[in-house]
Amino acid sequence: MEIAQILSNAIIVAAIYGLIAVAVSITWSSLGLINLGYGFVFSFAGYWAWLTAQHLSEWPPLIAAAGILGGAVGGVIICLVVFIPLHDKPNFTTRGMIGTLAISLIGSQALLMQFGPRAKSLPELFGSWQVDVAGMALTSDKIGIVLCSALMLGVVVIWMKGSRRGLEIRAMMMNPHAASIVGIGIRSTGIYVMALTGAMAGLASVLLSQTYYIAPFSGLTPLIKGVSIALCGGLGSVQGAVIAAMMLGLTEAATSRFLGGQYVLITQFLVIIMILIVRPHGISGLLDKAREQ
Amino acid sequence: MTEVLKIDGLSAGYGPLRVIHDLDLVIWPGERLGIVGLNGHGKTTLIYAIAGLTGWQRGSILLNGEQIGRTRSQGAGRYTHQIVRKGLAIMPQGDEIFTGLTVEEHLDSGAFTREAWRDRKTRKERVLDLFEPLRKLMKTPVGRLSGGERRMVSIGRGLMTDAKLYLVDEPSLGLAPKLGQSVMEALLAIDLEDSAMFIAEQNVALLEGRVDRVIGMHAGKLKGEASTTLGIG
Repeated sequence: MEIAQILSNAIIVAAIYGLIAVAVSITWSSLGLINLGYGFVFSFAGYWAWLTAQHLSEWPPLIAAAGILGGAVGGVIICLVVFIPLHDKPNFTTRGMIGTLAISLIGSQALLMQFGPRAKSLPELFGSWQVDVAGMALTSDKIGIVLCSALMLGVVVIWMKGSRRGLEIRAMMMNPHAASIVGIGIRSTGIYVMALTGAMAGLASVLLSQTYYIAPFSGLTPLIKGVSIALCGGLGSVQGAVIAAMMLGLTEAATSRFLGGQYVLITQFLVIIMILIVRPHGISGLLDKAREQ
Repeated sequence: MTEVLKIDGLSAGYGPLRVIHDLDLVIWPGERLGIVGLNGHGKTTLIYAIAGLTGWQRGSILLNGEQIGRTRSQGAGRYTHQIVRKGLAIMPQGDEIFTGLTVEEHLDSGAFTREAWRDRKTRKERVLDLFEPLRKLMKTPVGRLSGGERRMVSIGRGLMTDAKLYLVDEPSLGLAPKLGQSVMEALLAIDLEDSAMFIAEQNVALLEGRVDRVIGMHAGKLKGEASTTLGIG
């Protein structure tokens, strides 16, 4: 039963970090921006959800919606402050990375000043029941987390495949130059991309707050893990990010079971380094070629 | 009758490099204009300058009487989508395609105005009537198509909206002579009404006697003009 327990934990970790990794991946491949601002977006969305729970209502869908909306707003802020002024300037990749990192630090500091250092907790969104599947206890929050992130990911994929904006974003991912030739505005598409990926980070934040607390700097670890999972999966590939998230989730769950929680980051980064030695472009880094030109 | 395109004193280039030198050009409604010149003499750069895609540029460009040229030293492509929305259709050289999108999605991506998007089905039919071979390839990713098919996709994409000016860059480049011939035929079959078409081409023979005017391009300047009904020979 131990294996089943490890597997279920792995899936939960993968579900949360996978959301951020896919967000990082989409932003990189469509806008050419490595967005380090998700740390801020993550905490920002968490505080929106917390404020909603405090002042409006504790109805779970409303809290989740507040988190998603907060994340989207955070993403748009980063887009307006960093992406739009910088995207056609020389050295955009480096400048964009530094700019978003600055936003992450400034934003988190501002949250610290506003809300203080005490961590906040959200109410339980998924109730507190549990079911036994094959002798293994699955608690409500675990099931809820996996379902919610799968739902979000599914909606994003369907939207990207089926809608006009999704078509624009995919065109940008494949060939930004040709995209502007057919009349796709880089800046307006940038806003859609950042709102969408921000919303994903926002949902991840609400889901993670079922296990951890919301604090001004709580976005840092998910950011680091999200970026490294995205790198591992091959920046720009959604499937790659999902596979990498599963592998690293498995590593995390197995490490904390057999070695202890304090070794998680060590084994995780060892695995990442090994993957990148074997496949320098990531697990399915197909788009890198298009971007390197 | 306003000119479809009126260029005055256009210079453009990339960084320290100046490719287009003080160029003037007028295109009238219903006209097919051929620009002939060797590699590296600025045909593509001229198209890119009209679309605002060069590194820098200055000079006036009027599209249907509306100013789309500006003096700028950076920001390549920043305003291209706005210019394109004013009625420019660019059919670039072969490689400016989205390799992962299917042919159908590709054609959809060309229908960027609201009206074009709403009746994209009929427009796609129109393109398919012109390029029959694409009909059975609609669900195939463009990356798997041959050079000629890609060219058809890229021209078809440009035909999805009602543009005032079609800019076609080297339609026969890299194609077998017969294929190049048929792509050119398709371009000539398009009913222009009061819009105009600008075809940049290296192969004079393909244009001769079939477009309204041919202008030579040499070292970033337009040299000599001929009405092809009289023959260039």
